[in-house]
Amino acid sequence: MMKSTHILAIFIVVALAQLFVPARMIFNQETVVSTGTAYKFKTQPIDPSDPFKGKYIYLNYNVNSASSTTTAWKRNEPIYLLFKTDSLGFATIKEISKAQPNHTDYLKTAVTSYDDHTQTVWFSLPFNEFYMNEHKAYDAEIAHSKAQRDSVSNTTYALVYILNGTGVLDNVFINDIPIAEYVER
Amino acid sequence: MKSKFSTELTELVKNNVISEETALKIRTYYQTEQHDGSSKLFTVFGVLGSLLVGLGIILILAHNWDNFSRALKISLAFLPLVLGQLVTGYAIFKNKSGIWKEASATFLFFAVGCCIAMISQIYNIPGDLSTYVLTWTVLCLPLVYLLKSNAVAMLCIAFATFYGAELGYGFSAFPQVPWIYLLMITFLMPYYLRLIKTQPEANSTSLFNWLMPLSLVFTLGTFIKAYDSFEYLAYVILFGLFYNIGSLPIFADRKLRRNAFLILGSVGTVFMLLMASFDLRWSFVPETDLFLSKDLYVTLFLFLINASVFMYLYANNLLMRLNLFHYVFVIFTLLSFISFTLGLVTIILINILVLVLGLVTIKIGADKYHFGILNYGLLIISALIACRFFDTDLSYIVRGILFVSVGIGFFLTNYFMLKRKKSNVKISN
Repeated sequence: MMKSTHILAIFIVVALAQLFVPARMIFNQETVVSTGTAYKFKTQPIDPSDPFKGKYIYLNYNVNSASSTTTAWKRNEPIYLLFKTDSLGFATIKEISKAQPNHTDYLKTAVTSYDDHTQTVWFSLPFNEFYMNEHKAYDAEIAHSKAQRDSVSNTTYALVYILNGTGVLDNVFINDIPIAEYVER
Repeated sequence: MKSKFSTELTELVKNNVISEETALKIRTYYQTEQHDGSSKLFTVFGVLGSLLVGLGIILILAHNWDNFSRALKISLAFLPLVLGQLVTGYAIFKNKSGIWKEASATFLFFAVGCCIAMISQIYNIPGDLSTYVLTWTVLCLPLVYLLKSNAVAMLCIAFATFYGAELGYGFSAFPQVPWIYLLMITFLMPYYLRLIKTQPEANSTSLFNWLMPLSLVFTLGTFIKAYDSFEYLAYVILFGLFYNIGSLPIFADRKLRRNAFLILGSVGTVFMLLMASFDLRWSFVPETDLFLSKDLYVTLFLFLINASVFMYLYANNLLMRLNLFHYVFVIFTLLSFISFTLGLVTIILINILVLVLGLVTIKIGADKYHFGILNYGLLIISALIACRFFDTDLSYIVRGILFVSVGIGFFLTNYFMLKRKKSNVKISN
């Protein structure tokens, strides 16, 4: 039989691992937020939910494809995206590549499909879930569609920090007001 | 102890039916028995309590308290985890009772999942469900051995199975072979084997006896993807393996309802054969790719394990010679490979095989005076006829007569067995 001190020692190692995993998640995300480049992505929210993490709005981004004349792309193949900002301040695609770029503000994601005919590669941005208070997620979807109907100038966008392939979704805004606040109004 | 029972004992001693010493022995026996029973009950309630509290905390935090600051939300995410670790550490340090260990380990299990989920929520990390469940389960697997916790072991089997199915069948993403599932189950295997060895009669062991094979049934399909024929064959071999494992003395000597391997093996075999009796989708068409595929190696591996269990049963005279269930895996393997040349004859052979299995089961039921087994045998034959109802050109009259005869068969066999059983009881009296 193993001594209880030995069991306790192993348990402490296990407990440290249990603490390390979420702590490392926090560290990785915080690094991206503090040192990454911020981009605004135009988006449209809808409202699903996750059994463990709660309610979230699923974000459909306007940036979801790019034309590619050089090579054919396979489904699930990694794709590296570089962004630039348009005249209104929103992110658009600057460049796509199969190889990891030399810059730090690139995003890594996967190809969803490639259309030979139009030579367009489709992908989805990986930061597409924004977690919200359970009473506000559905209201957020409604608020967005209402804002879209009311005026042409209304925009919903996600503020995302990008660093070394990872994107961290910081907040979602409707007309520059954080969505959670916008819903309360 | 109930007072009526106690008075009865005093009465028996007074009338010299039992001695004072025997009465004392009976009293002590029931006292320890009662103590064991109540401690088991407390363990069950302790585990259920921890399970509910753990799930409750997950739901409360999933509400997403968006007026709290990020730092406060992070602290709240870590609170149940640290609390769970402290209580579990205390239970180990003080070498507390099984109830303490089971309850604290169960709580810690949910606290780990809760903390990771909350951090994902706070930072909007998109959900890859299989990776999340994998991280959660791997972080909790050592708790099974450190705290000898049955509850955490069962949770780990359930979560590992969920991971295997989610990743392997590709519910939410591109399907991948879940090799890590096998590692997790292998890791839990020594714990399960120890339970079978040390507490074969315990209810918790019976639960494991059901969980383990069910988990394999759910996930086997994820390892066999490319060829339908291998899927049929691998499942028939797996169920045959279960049947043969269920025939090992360690399982066969227990009550039937505790012998999940035998029940699953038998029902699964019949189900697969009935499916195979419709068409030749499972027949092997010779092509080189087929014989170099991963599917072949997985099926071959299962076949070899089954063959070794079969040899063990044979060497120790544990095979019932007429019981075809033991041999189905060999017969079906042969049929799979010759079906290409034999064609429809194989389908007829499969139908005959199911019929014989039904008859064998009826015979076993009759020999053991077991109404359950007897009627299960009749059910196999009825199922076979029901299946043929859909795809044969037999006239309605013939099909009707077949059903009526099986129905009469049900009545008659049960009636005769009841009569035989009664006359046997009379003779023995």
